Amino acid sequence: MRSSTRSTPERVTPPVPDPELLEQLAAGQLGALGELYDRYQAALRAFLVRATRDAHDIDDLVQATFLAAAASAARYDGRATCRPWLIGIAAQLLRRRRRTFSHLLAVLSTLKITQTSTSDPRTALQARTDVERALSRLSEAKRVTLLMAEVEGMSCPEIAEALAIPLGTVWTRLHTARRELRQALASEDA
Amino acid sequence: MKPGCPRLFEVEAWRDGRLGGAEAERFRAHLKLCPSCATEMQSLEALGEALRAPLPHENELHVRRERTKLLAAFDARLVPPPRPWRSGLALVAAVATLTCVVLAAAFRFVRPAPAPTVASHAAPVSEAVAVRADSSARWSRQADAQLETIRLESGALSIRVDHAASPRRLRVILPDGELEDIGTTFSVSADSGHTTRVSVQEGSVVLRLRGAPPVALGAGDSWSPSPAPLSASLVPPSAAPPSAKPVIVAASPSSRVPPATGPDPSDEFAAAMAALDRSDDSQAAALFGAFVAQHPRDARAEDACYLRVLAFQRAGNTNAMRRAARDYLTRYPRGFRKSEIEPLVGE
Repeated sequence: MRSSTRSTPERVTPPVPDPELLEQLAAGQLGALGELYDRYQAALRAFLVRATRDAHDIDDLVQATFLAAAASAARYDGRATCRPWLIGIAAQLLRRRRRTFSHLLAVLSTLKITQTSTSDPRTALQARTDVERALSRLSEAKRVTLLMAEVEGMSCPEIAEALAIPLGTVWTRLHTARRELRQALASEDA
Repeated sequence: MKPGCPRLFEVEAWRDGRLGGAEAERFRAHLKLCPSCATEMQSLEALGEALRAPLPHENELHVRRERTKLLAAFDARLVPPPRPWRSGLALVAAVATLTCVVLAAAFRFVRPAPAPTVASHAAPVSEAVAVRADSSARWSRQADAQLETIRLESGALSIRVDHAASPRRLRVILPDGELEDIGTTFSVSADSGHTTRVSVQEGSVVLRLRGAPPVALGAGDSWSPSPAPLSASLVPPSAAPPSAKPVIVAASPSSRVPPATGPDPSDEFAAAMAALDRSDDSQAAALFGAFVAQHPRDARAEDACYLRVLAFQRAGNTNAMRRAARDYLTRYPRGFRKSEIEPLVGE
């Protein structure tokens, strides 16, 4: 796992191991959630910023992820670090949000009461680099999968488990995502 | 992809763990010898590095506010709101349970209480405050529009406050002081004109005894006069805003404003921030202190507590700053600014 942006010694060597922290959280201890937030909010926020093309609900997604983690803490599998687990929850929330949004779009287009485009109307990513722009052109499913592999360092089986998709789908998404990313970067250069 | 090697496609497969044991080992050996595959590998690594490029840091104050919001949301979920009944069976069960509870309460809570020693109730006592008294307790209870007061002469009370349902604050008058509830569940005992024990199960309380500084007690803390408090932290009265009143306990019921009709906490927080922005640091410290005292459960209370320390520091009031720093650590022992505040206590 790559270290979070918080680099104080107590963060590098957490006083309470993640599994124990999640046990405390499952017991309803508020302090455990605060500690979990301090450890992983930066990593989670970074993942969500990269993974989503609109930044206005990042805070909501971070909150929802930690609250969902708190609700599921009793079922945590005891791995030494819960970062991949949290990232998986965030990815699931992203997917759910995307489905909800697609449904909303369908309703709006049926009603024909607005001039909403049938294309994705979400605010364009405030891309600062070519890579970010190229990344924003990928579908969210491919983008999330690629970020889980390349940024979070998760193995393909871990990603498949977190996203509840077949391993082969992960491999396919990764391959396609890299190819499209390279093509997009090449067109940026051109 | 670069032409030149028929195994070029295996680079990505190897990197993603798609190749099995022996096959992976053979490709690893090939990779060391094949310039085309090595270049492809470097290209994929470069792509990953580009994706991992650090993002701008999030504003720390924003992160801290989000943390406070999260904890407040989690706290709220621990006390789920009442849900509508879904079936007649549930309703019947509820009625039966309620009947039992009322009978038990009538027997256990009302009977042991002596006739109120204070004036009759100006308003009905709140059902959101559950009081359980031991058989020898001598106590009374009264309420007005803003404050509910429980007066304990002797014996032990266990009190639970549902703040979500309670329209008013709760104060427990003790033989030798008073106790203000800013939490949810606690017990208190008194004997021979003295408070003998306070124990907090959930939330927090502030104990004020005559001739002694206020003591803030959090969940799991207990207090007794001798030996010294087990895990309580002192909140010196002078850590309060310049009104010279204790930091947490308001002076009189009239100064307690219920959230529904009181000033907007956002306005109060904004006023404190404005004072800080114009470098009116003493005023800012006072306003932040007042905010914390009046809205201890507000999502910005931790911010206010922290900014109050900064305001005292900027004002050059070292003693007040230390006291405010101790107050912060008492309230938020695992607070976001703990590492910054701790050195200030002993500075």
